[in-house]
Amino acid sequence: MTRGDGIVLACVLAVALLSVPAVLAVADAGSAAALISGPAGQTETTLSDNARYTVEGREGTVVFEVRDGHLLCTSSSCADQVCVRQREALPGRPVVCAPNGVVARVSGAAAKEASLDAVSR
Amino acid sequence: MRSRGSQTSARSVALASMLLAFGACLGYAESVLLPPLPVPGVRLGLANLAVVVTLATLGSTYALVVSLGRVLIVSFAAGSLGGPAFAMSLAGALAAWSVMSLLARKEGIFSPVGWSVAGSAAHVIAQLLLAAWLVGSQAPLAMTPLSLLASVPTGLVIGYSARLLVSRIPQTTLAFGR
Repeated sequence: MTRGDGIVLACVLAVALLSVPAVLAVADAGSAAALISGPAGQTETTLSDNARYTVEGREGTVVFEVRDGHLLCTSSSCADQVCVRQREALPGRPVVCAPNGVVARVSGAAAKEASLDAVSR
Repeated sequence: MRSRGSQTSARSVALASMLLAFGACLGYAESVLLPPLPVPGVRLGLANLAVVVTLATLGSTYALVVSLGRVLIVSFAAGSLGGPAFAMSLAGALAAWSVMSLLARKEGIFSPVGWSVAGSAAHVIAQLLLAAWLVGSQAPLAMTPLSLLASVPTGLVIGYSARLLVSRIPQTTLAFGR
């Protein structure tokens, strides 16, 4: 590895680490709700009640389930299945199905509320 | 009688074609056979191995042909040609090629390892930006730190593999390729 390679490596790591605070700030700024959005619009929901949401995307459907305080992507029509493998939307880590244009995200406040609900059950 | 120039060009085209086939096979095999990495959307990027080797042996123009060619072939084989997944592959491939070509011009300063790490990071950033545009939300950008961190080891693996591969290609082949 040359000195230039080391500089490239340091730059990539620096950008990755510097972007962490920005991502955390965006994650905490949301309202106390889980949000599922697609090409046709968006649905806001809480994580307290179990439910199933089928979203019409560009290439087919994406299915989400609210189960025991968790927002899960259970199936998708896309080819790569990145969204299904990611499985759960967490604060600051949304589930994105880019081929279908569908995003599911959970704000920090919603996650805290959901965990409290889960404890009270 | 053929001139030496046309002979060199024919050998370059032949070598580029082999590397294109190599990249397409690696890309398709990775998408079908290899298990996904723990970070969503991040792959090892085996097909980029062919692009880095092409860049090191034949230069940036052939590397662009190999990069775009393997995206087309793998998308055609996977049935995603023309769709959003194809657009994301294309954006990632173009971004990676642009950055790697830029670094490759600075001979002696950066090695294939550095090109590969920078290309891997550029690939990830381009895909996240396009995904954000496709879904009309900044949400995909939340994956930036994890994806960029994951791009470092994948870039290193591909970079060192490319360096090893280039060292094993006979010098006579490389002399004709240049």
